[in-house]
Amino acid sequence: MADGSKPVELHYMPLSAPCRSVLLLAKSIGLQLTPKLCNVLAGDNRTQHYLQMNPQHTIPTMDDNGFYLWESRAILGYLASKYGPAHLYPSDPKERAVVDQRLYFDMGTLYERFAKCTIPLMFGNRPVEEDAIPKLNEALGWLEGFFGDNQYVAGPKQTVADFSLASTIATIEASEVTDFMPYPKLRAWLASCKAEMPGYAELNDDGAKSFGELYKQAKAKASA
Amino acid sequence: MSPWQLTPEGNAIVWCGCPAPPICPPSGPASVHSLVLLRIERSAAQSLRTVLNSKPAAMGVDLYYMDLSAPCRSVMLLAKAIGLELNLKVTNIMTGETRTPEFIKMNPQHCLPTMDDDGFKLWESRAILSYLASKYGPAHLYPSDPKERAVVDQRLYFDMGTLYERFGKCVYPLMFGDGKIADNALDNLKEALGWLEGFFGDNQFVAGPKQTVADFAIASTVATIEACELVDLAAYPKLSAWLAACKTDMPGYAELNGQGATAFGGFYKAKLNA
Repeated sequence: MADGSKPVELHYMPLSAPCRSVLLLAKSIGLQLTPKLCNVLAGDNRTQHYLQMNPQHTIPTMDDNGFYLWESRAILGYLASKYGPAHLYPSDPKERAVVDQRLYFDMGTLYERFAKCTIPLMFGNRPVEEDAIPKLNEALGWLEGFFGDNQYVAGPKQTVADFSLASTIATIEASEVTDFMPYPKLRAWLASCKAEMPGYAELNDDGAKSFGELYKQAKAKASA
Repeated sequence: MSPWQLTPEGNAIVWCGCPAPPICPPSGPASVHSLVLLRIERSAAQSLRTVLNSKPAAMGVDLYYMDLSAPCRSVMLLAKAIGLELNLKVTNIMTGETRTPEFIKMNPQHCLPTMDDDGFKLWESRAILSYLASKYGPAHLYPSDPKERAVVDQRLYFDMGTLYERFGKCVYPLMFGDGKIADNALDNLKEALGWLEGFFGDNQFVAGPKQTVADFAIASTVATIEACELVDLAAYPKLSAWLAACKTDMPGYAELNGQGATAFGGFYKAKLNA
């Protein structure tokens, strides 16, 4: 239970992978969240109230009894540190650095390259660049390498990086822009996320599939 | 095994008995040395343990970098500020120096900066900043309080995913791509600078009343934006004041950030006028 008078609130949309990471983590650590649906496609993030909370009007946005925070990976670190077991975001500088590198990789490389495969078609009315999918595959290859002999993305224990990457990877999978056959460690890890992360189906899979559907519709329309 | 351990109660630290204690006199016996500090606050015991267990950078920390690169400059600025000597290794990404088998073995993503701390290899500048600050720097640079740290983290992710990203869209297509800059690229950058201006609130630093790693990350980004002369930063008074303070207060700013930013700006402007 959150300290302060109210449970932590999370403004989110199921389509959004970064939102799903936070929902998955909260469930996993038994933190009660009050989820608040925020449809950015309908402008729910542009109300005066929302802008007061988060002038960047992005999702997810967290409200922990008046402490407003955005950037999903900052939220993951905060919730894990405040309410979760220590292994999720270790305090040892070296262990934490590896988790951080995975988080920045997720934002700046993996999701970024995935976005280049999908966003132009879904929201930009533009074709996707020729090297977009090869670059995504390159990033997936790097991620495969990061596992080493470990079961989780950043080491032998589960960390916030697993939650961040689980939503990105689920969304890539649902979009079917590429397949994971060349990446056995990644496949095994994703299978264990599905089996072990509490509430995975409803908190991550459903939203990923919705995103995948939207993408496939946009792609079909562009080819028509 | 780390030689200093907490007692089960957590309020004292004890030397485990290794024959090479760091602070006992060298003439002491090689058998068990135990030094027990009693009745200190739990948090102090943990901090003291971390400090005593941290080995100083024995071989020094290597940093593979190019000074055109803002993320590299952040790390150099931070290291200087905390008095950490780096073994600087110029690595020209544009001539393929990050694609050698040795570099790829160290960092399969072959990006800069890459750090090697006595065998521990790390990349992503902001992960490096937090690591170096936590390991070698004063606590305020990357506070351990979850709420304070979360604000620093949000600024770091903002720097990567919004500020530098939008700046990149204004310059990279011209410098490295097909020359097509989107119509709204500059407006989007200005919007991000406006958000950054708002983040200061009444604080002197980007993430609160004290300097943190976020100031180092953002100092290199903003210096590079300034050097490209895309935007008049005077439109953002708090940001301008903060940048001026970085220039005078960050040790080695001119050589570690100013020069590289100017070089990047020169490169961009040459392409613009070509």
